[in-house]
Amino acid sequence: MKLVSKMTLGAITAALIFAGCGGGESATATPVAETKEAKVTPSVTEESLGLRKTDLYSEDTTTADKTAYHTEYPGTSKRFDRAYQDAPPMIPHDVGDFLPITKNNNACTGCHMPEVAPAMGATPIPPSHFLDMRPHHKFDGKKFTKSIDNMKNETDVKKLTHLSQSRFNCSQCHAPQTTGALAVGSTFEANYTEEDGATRSTWNDRVLDELDTVGPDSTVTADDLANKNSPAGHLEGGH
Amino acid sequence: MAMERRDFLKSAAAASAASAIGMAVPTEVQAKADAAGNDWRWDKAACRFCGTGCGIMMATKGEGADRKIVAVKGDPAAPVNRGLNCIKGYFNAKIMYGADRLTQPLLRVDKDGNFDKKGKFAPVSWKRAFDEMELNIKKTLKEKGPEGVAVFASGQYTVMEGYAAQKMMKAGFRSNAIDPNARHCMASAVVGFYQTFGIDEPSGCYDDIELTDTVVSWGSNMAEMHPILWSRVTDRKLSDPDKVKVISIQTYTHRTSDLADTEIIFSPNTDTALWNYVAREIVYNHPDAIDWDFVKKHIVFAAGPVNLGYGLRRSDDKSVKEGKYTAKEMETVSKEMQKEVSAKEGPALEPFGYKAGDTMKNNGGTLGHWEISFEDYKKSLAPYTLDYTASIVKGDPNEDIEQFKKKLQELAALYIEKDRKVVSFWTMGMNQHTRGTWDNTLAYNVHFLLNKQARPGSGAFSLTGQPSACGTAREVGTFTHRLPADLMVKVPAHRKIAEKQWMIPDGTLNGVGKQHIMQIHRDIEDGLVKFAWVNVCNAYQDSASASHWIKAAREMDNFIVTSDGYPGISAKVSDLILPSAMMYEKWGAYGNAERRTQHWRQQVLPVGDAMSDTWQWVELSKRFTVDDVWGEYKPSGKRKTPLEDVRAKAKAMGYKGDTTMFEILFANKKATAYKLDQNDPIQKGYDNSEGYGDERKVVGSDGKVFEGYGFFIHKYLFEEYASFGRGHGHDLAPFDVYHKVRGLKWPVVDGKETQWRFNSKYDPYAAKETKGTDDEFAFYGKIAKALQHGNLTGKDKDSKKTPLKNKAKIFARPYMDPPEMPDKEYPVWLATGRVLEHWHSGTMTMRVPELYRAVPEALCYMHPEDAKEQQVKRGGMVWVESRRGRVKARVETRGRNRPPQGLVFVPWFDEKVFINKVCLDATCPMSKQTDFKKCAVKIYKA
Repeated sequence: MKLVSKMTLGAITAALIFAGCGGGESATATPVAETKEAKVTPSVTEESLGLRKTDLYSEDTTTADKTAYHTEYPGTSKRFDRAYQDAPPMIPHDVGDFLPITKNNNACTGCHMPEVAPAMGATPIPPSHFLDMRPHHKFDGKKFTKSIDNMKNETDVKKLTHLSQSRFNCSQCHAPQTTGALAVGSTFEANYTEEDGATRSTWNDRVLDELDTVGPDSTVTADDLANKNSPAGHLEGGH
Repeated sequence: MAMERRDFLKSAAAASAASAIGMAVPTEVQAKADAAGNDWRWDKAACRFCGTGCGIMMATKGEGADRKIVAVKGDPAAPVNRGLNCIKGYFNAKIMYGADRLTQPLLRVDKDGNFDKKGKFAPVSWKRAFDEMELNIKKTLKEKGPEGVAVFASGQYTVMEGYAAQKMMKAGFRSNAIDPNARHCMASAVVGFYQTFGIDEPSGCYDDIELTDTVVSWGSNMAEMHPILWSRVTDRKLSDPDKVKVISIQTYTHRTSDLADTEIIFSPNTDTALWNYVAREIVYNHPDAIDWDFVKKHIVFAAGPVNLGYGLRRSDDKSVKEGKYTAKEMETVSKEMQKEVSAKEGPALEPFGYKAGDTMKNNGGTLGHWEISFEDYKKSLAPYTLDYTASIVKGDPNEDIEQFKKKLQELAALYIEKDRKVVSFWTMGMNQHTRGTWDNTLAYNVHFLLNKQARPGSGAFSLTGQPSACGTAREVGTFTHRLPADLMVKVPAHRKIAEKQWMIPDGTLNGVGKQHIMQIHRDIEDGLVKFAWVNVCNAYQDSASASHWIKAAREMDNFIVTSDGYPGISAKVSDLILPSAMMYEKWGAYGNAERRTQHWRQQVLPVGDAMSDTWQWVELSKRFTVDDVWGEYKPSGKRKTPLEDVRAKAKAMGYKGDTTMFEILFANKKATAYKLDQNDPIQKGYDNSEGYGDERKVVGSDGKVFEGYGFFIHKYLFEEYASFGRGHGHDLAPFDVYHKVRGLKWPVVDGKETQWRFNSKYDPYAAKETKGTDDEFAFYGKIAKALQHGNLTGKDKDSKKTPLKNKAKIFARPYMDPPEMPDKEYPVWLATGRVLEHWHSGTMTMRVPELYRAVPEALCYMHPEDAKEQQVKRGGMVWVESRRGRVKARVETRGRNRPPQGLVFVPWFDEKVFINKVCLDATCPMSKQTDFKKCAVKIYKA
């Protein structure tokens, strides 16, 4: 079947004749649509749409896509490229013996901590994971005081000598990958700003870049708060 | 920019059409070197997925229709997540680039191109799509009245989309048959809030995590479902591991338990007994722990009827009478009318006048309740001794009962410990529950008795599931019974407020709002609803007893429309499919679980001819005039009185018979004051496909190229919606402010967000109420704030109502069985839910290569001994069968989820493991939220 493009549709002269305007109990005429449109051809089956290409009304012929993770032992597998610059890398090796991560046992760190990773042939945990980005607000039991001002988009990033505990749950971002075909392809194009972007994160060097998203006018002004030019923004007479 | 339309379609949309007709599609496009990154544009946005509401930084690259998302990184300025996202959060970058994006409307037609419900789909123009919708809506309005026109709405709508849909449905069509998938997710939490506080949404905020000493997760797998909140909990726990305690209360072991100090595995539905046990420990054994000053000043005790049923079909429902339910199904459904009180629930029900063996006749859900004495409340707790509680609650048959009792005692002790701060978190476990409303109120009971609510570091906190269940579904009020900002359609004064602000005649709005989302499915099956539109959800995959609703959609005389980015199950069973712009292809706003509203700008142009749901609603409104929709309507469905003809009033307001709903609701004089302006720093350089049209030159609903509305419709919609809450405890900041900050927690008063509601130190509304007193709290919600009196067995009908200004409620509510439990024939509990890597029905995440490959299938997680008994090995295939249907799934016996014997967990994201065909559509009879966590199944080798 030929791709029905906008060009074709644009050429269609739809002849639509509606009789009556109907609606409501008060309406008298029932609307009748003589909706004839040139070259409207029933070409797409229900089964061809979506992820499930089998009969939707019975389960006999339907089975899920089998999970078959890479079984290579750590250090022996080929690494996946990062999906884009600084994207979290996926896990190329068998994880059966390493999960779950518990509060007393994180097996991932055994090989991936930067000081041991080269020797183990593992991807080192990048410097960004050794940052504490959370401001510590103060509460003395009576009064709570914010340590930074959210209205100014302030940040508070501190270097740590240990792995950030907020990044302790490795499996929250990194996952093993099944082999075999995808259910549906992707048109996403991987782009990297660094030569080695496919294999290495350099986010640490620029975590605070680009945060002023409204340019020089990023700060909330008194006029912004006054919201004077918003005729719909208040209820006349209140409620 | 200068790219030809035809070229664009070739490069971007070819794959989509190709896959739709079964051709080969590219797998993954190869990497591109792009050393500098200078041409990347970074902007802030919100994550598309869960209710946590993380901020992201998003990079795009290219010009015009070629501009694409190239990267996502954590936003260190975003207070929720401070530079960290979960795996789904990072892969927001890819969610819009699945090869089978819908790019054109598709209509089922016959060989001549006429609509044919049994036909295959054909690509059609937007004009043809709207013609068919107009025709079917007009036909339905005439035959069935407004109640026949329905919308499956969403907690993933942007605020603007939800508001536009709500306005056209309620003001235009005068139909309240709009209800969101958030009904499946948050409704029990909402009714819990209304009953307890008189106003929706949590008192606390996420800052509680860093401030608390104790995190108790009640039936919530936060580690997978709210990963960033869990990373905050983890940070807190590991920073002070001896002091900070984490308790995981679950029906099966999962990642949340992996970090916990103590795990309590409970038998499904008995969490209500566990809450009452903790309350009993306080009231009977540690009365000194009760803060009587607080309780006397701020709390009343209350009770209501217990014979509410289970939200199932009733015997006089049309489809039940017509025999559409099999004898097997009726074994469970019949309990809606009456049931025998079981030995398990008997002791808990004794204070309420029932004992084991009694027949309980169910009257169907009611929200009614009355004030009782503390002594009566105390009586309701009497049954929950350690022995009784442990005997019904223990969920792992292999666990030692004495060991289990020690854990229950430890749990109670942690809550009771003086000066120990405690946060209780929950989501679907307590909400998807046939006593979900009760369960929510029972949580507040414990925190109130101890005065550990609405304080920094302490409180019962209902986590929300969806990214804008709070923002759009609840705050905008896209529910059948609601209007914006806690206004209710049944209250005449509330309708008047909306009618005035919407500039529509007095009496236009329909006062009967009872078509909740399961009711819409049932109304389609009963033949009342003849037109239904699925918006930003997947109603035909996400609803329990799914086979019924699919059959009704495909085989009955009706017209079903689905708007979506990708073709999911709902699209497949629809008559018309509309291609929707996705998250970052439009301007939008979401509201998260801690009341934080977050906005983003349109990052890229939509693909193909896709347009936003806002645009679809607004275009539809052009097809309906005053004369079309504002005449008289006879009683229909549950509305027993006519809707008046308001056309004369409309004319008195200056409208004509042929004035369109577009002119009245969307392009009125207030709306057009919101200017498009490329000098405005918020708008500068950003696309606005609804405002300007765009270079794709999409041929719109009138057959002409859509050139834009010429005003800033998103800003108008947001500001008008916000007007309802400003000055009324729901104050939202101005539109522009949200584009400059990383979200703010409402109420935002004098440029300041609110962290702890009802607490006069932090909440300006509470401060106002307590001014001149030394009161610390004011529970100022206005709903159900005057009660009659009674006791546990009933209301004194002659009692006078006592006003409860600024008070909250503690409810006496017992443990009760769910309507379907394992028995000889179906001996296993089935629980469903999500996994970290997939969102809901998987339409987006299954199309992201990394997420698909992480979890390509829904597994049946079961205990190794249960697998052995069925002679099936790990990776082997089993049937999971209930009274309603069966699906096949592979067995996993040692993965991330580790159930006790007698329970299996099967997630619902996988179209090929269509578990909702197995699930039961029982709901909390008060909140109408489905219980997806419990039904009885048998498991056997496939």
